Amino acid sequence: MNESLSLAIRHHTGFTYDGLAKSSYNEARMTPITGASQEVRNAHIAVQPVVPLSTHTDYFGTIVTAFDIQEPHQKLEVEARSNVESRAGLIAPAISWNDLRAPALVDFFSEYLFATDRTKLAGDVLAPLDEWSQIADLHSCVDAVSAYVRGHVTYLPGATSVDATAQEAWELGEGVCQDLTHITIGLLRELGIPTRYVSGYLFPLSDAEIGEVVAGQSHAWIEYFSGAWTGMDPTNGIPETERHIIVGNGRDYDDVAPLKGVYQGAASSSLGVVVAMSRTH
Amino acid sequence: MASVTQMSMVFDDDSSAAWNEMFSAPGSPRPIYERLFAELNRYQLAELRQRSEQLSHTFSERGVTFAHSGEERPFPLDVVPRLIGAMEWDLLSRAIGQRVHALEAFLADIYGDGRIFAEHVIPRSVVTSSPHFCRPAFAVDPPNGVRITVAGIDLVRDEVGNFRVLEDNVRIPSGVSYVIENRRAMTQTFASLFSDHRVHPVDSYPAHLFAALRAAAPLNVSDPVVVVLSPGVHNAAYFEHVLLARMMGVELVEGRDLLCRSNLVYSRTTNGERPVHVIYRRVDDDWLDPLQFRSDSIIGVVGLVNCARAGNVVISNGIGNGVADDKLVYTYVPEFIRFYLSEEPLIENVETYRLEDDDVREEVLKSLASYVVKPVDGSGGKGIIIGPRADEKTLAKAAEAVAAAPRNWIAQRPVMLSTHPTLVDEGVSPRHIDLRPFAINDGEEVWVLPGGLTRVALGEGELVVNSSRGGGSKDTWVLNDESMPLRESRVATAQRQRNVSYGPRQDGNVGRGDQ
Repeated sequence: MNESLSLAIRHHTGFTYDGLAKSSYNEARMTPITGASQEVRNAHIAVQPVVPLSTHTDYFGTIVTAFDIQEPHQKLEVEARSNVESRAGLIAPAISWNDLRAPALVDFFSEYLFATDRTKLAGDVLAPLDEWSQIADLHSCVDAVSAYVRGHVTYLPGATSVDATAQEAWELGEGVCQDLTHITIGLLRELGIPTRYVSGYLFPLSDAEIGEVVAGQSHAWIEYFSGAWTGMDPTNGIPETERHIIVGNGRDYDDVAPLKGVYQGAASSSLGVVVAMSRTH
Repeated sequence: MASVTQMSMVFDDDSSAAWNEMFSAPGSPRPIYERLFAELNRYQLAELRQRSEQLSHTFSERGVTFAHSGEERPFPLDVVPRLIGAMEWDLLSRAIGQRVHALEAFLADIYGDGRIFAEHVIPRSVVTSSPHFCRPAFAVDPPNGVRITVAGIDLVRDEVGNFRVLEDNVRIPSGVSYVIENRRAMTQTFASLFSDHRVHPVDSYPAHLFAALRAAAPLNVSDPVVVVLSPGVHNAAYFEHVLLARMMGVELVEGRDLLCRSNLVYSRTTNGERPVHVIYRRVDDDWLDPLQFRSDSIIGVVGLVNCARAGNVVISNGIGNGVADDKLVYTYVPEFIRFYLSEEPLIENVETYRLEDDDVREEVLKSLASYVVKPVDGSGGKGIIIGPRADEKTLAKAAEAVAAAPRNWIAQRPVMLSTHPTLVDEGVSPRHIDLRPFAINDGEEVWVLPGGLTRVALGEGELVVNSSRGGGSKDTWVLNDESMPLRESRVATAQRQRNVSYGPRQDGNVGRGDQ
C-alpha cells in the first residue's frame, strides 16, 4: 500500500538590511513541481515589497519566479504557499551494473555523472569505491554509500555555510543535509551511478492532527538512476517517502538554490527559513 | 627581363611547402595577381617602405590600435594586399553561409528539443561538458530565430591550395574594424593600386549589421532602439565598439548605462530613461548578467537574461553561442551540415582528432611532435602547442595535460598555412596568413562581407596568426569578374555564350532567389 499525504506548505524566507537596499534582482525556486510521487494542487508566491513577478521553467524543469525591486527597502520577504498530494516513491528492481555502464545510458545522463565544484571529492573519502562496486544490487550499493557518509559526517545545523563543498564538509566531519547530499552525490557519480540533487521540504514524523501546523524543514536529498530515478535521503538514511516534497532538481545546490539574488546597498542578514506544514485531510 | 631581375630582388622566394598566394612559381604570378604584380614592380623597396610608413601614420592618426599584453599598439597593416578572385569568393561565401545556417540550427536544437542527441549525431556529453553550454539560455528563443548575428569563420589555405575551416567564432568575433580601416588607409595612400582592379567595397558592413540588428528586434516593436554594449575603454577591441556604434548611428553604452526593470531594459541618458530593444553586446557571457553568471562582474547588466527570456530585449549574439565554437564541437560541424541541411560541406575542416577516444589519444600521444594540440575553449592562439616546433619539455607537459583531461584538447594535423609576400625588415618576403571573413545573419539570408581580415604572422615561419599575438594584417580584395586577366575572362565569356546556345535562358531567372 502506498502511503499518501495531503499537505499545506508555507515557506517563508528573506533578508533584512543594515540600512537600505535597492536595485535588487532575484530568482526564487520555491514552487513544488508535479511528478510521479506528488501532485501540486495550487502554488503561489508573494514578495514584499510588492513588485511584478515573472515565472518560467528552467533547464532542469524547476519553476522559477523572477523579480526586481528598484525602490529602497529595508527588508525583502518571499513566501511560497502550496497544497500538495504526496505519495512514497516506488522502488523498482534496479538494473544491473552492466546496463548502467551502457555507453548510450552514460551519454544520456552525462550531466549527472560529471563532478561539479560542489561535489568533487578526492583523497581518503574515495577509499571504499572498489568495495562498493562489488555490491551487485544498485539499491544496496547506494544504501552502503549513504551509511558510510552518515557514519563519518554528523548532521549538525549551522556547521557549514551555504557555500560549502562536499570535500570541505567531509574533512570537517559535520554538515547539514545539503553537505551530506553533496558528498553522497560525489561518491555515487564516482561509481558511475547518475545522481542528482533534489531540493524540497520534509514533513516531520509526527502525530499532528489534520489542520495542526508543525515546523517542517527545507531539505535536500538525492535521486539516483537505477532504471528509473529513485529518491533516497542520505541525511536520514531512508528512501524518499511521502513526507518528502520535491521543489526541483539539478546537478548540485547551485542549480536549485531557493532564493538567489544580487542587490546594491547595505549588508544583509538572512531572515532564516520557516517552513510551516499541516495535513489538510 | 629587366623587370624579372628587379622582382627577384624585391620578392623573396618561397622555399617552404606552403601554398604561395601570389606566385605559382618564383617570379611567375598567379593570373589574378598579374596586374598587382606589375604595378608593385614599379616601386623600389624604399618607396614601398615609405608607403608603409604612411599607412601606419594614417592608422595612428585614426587611433586604430589593438591592446596587446596590456599595451596599446598599432595593428600593422602590410602594404601588399591579398587578392581573392570572384569565383573563389563565391565558393567561400556560400560555404560560410552554409556553416552559419548549420550552427544556427545546432544552437536552436540544443537549447530546445535536442533532436540531434536523439539521432545520435553528436553525443549529448560533448555538449553538456562544454564550459560554454549555457543552461540559462535554454528556451530563450530569439524572435527571428537568429542567435548568430555576426560570425567570424577562420579559414586557412592548405598546402595544395584548398581553403579549410580552422575555427568558428560565433560568440563576439572581432576584427571587422580593421577590414574597414585597412581599406580606408590603403585607398588613401595607394590609390594607384586600385585603378587597375575592381575591388568589392567593404564599407557597407555597418549598414548590414544595423539592418540585421533591427530585424532581430522583439516582434511588437516597430522602431527598435539598438545599442552597442562594450566592456569599456580597457577592452582590446574598444576601438571597434566605438567605430561600429558611430557608423551605425547608435548609442555606445557600458553595463552601468543600462537598467533592467520588470523585464524591460532602459538606457540612462541625459534626457532620462530610454527603452532599449536590441543589444549588440561585446561583453562575454560570463560577465554579462551577474544574476546568472559571474556575480562579481561590474561590466554587466543585472537581470538582462530574464529580460531576454521575457522577449522584451534581444541579446546579440545570443547567450550560450560559445558551445558552437568549442573546438571539440567543431569536429562535428560537417555532421551538422549533413544533418540539418542535408548538404555536403562546401569547405572541409582541418583534419582533427578527438582525444576522448582511447585509441585515437594513444595514437596521438605516441607522436605528439607531429600534431598541433589546442585547448577546446582557447582563443587568440592561447595555449596552442605546435608539435613540430615544440621542445621536449613542452611536449611532455602537453601530453600530461591531454591525458589528465582529454575533453579539454583536440589534436590537428599541422597545416602549413599559405604564404603571401609581405613587407618585412628583410624585404618583401613570404609570411603565413589566414583569413577571417565576417558573416551577418539577418534571419532572411547570411551575407558575407566581401573581403575579411587577412592576418599575417610577421615572424618568419611563424604559424600562429592572431592580432593578440602581435601579428599584422592585409587589406583583402575580393575582385569582380571584370578585373580577371584577359585569358580568364575569355573563358568566362565563352562559357556565357555556350549558355546562351545550349543552356537555360538567362532572363528566365529574373526574380528568382539564389539556388
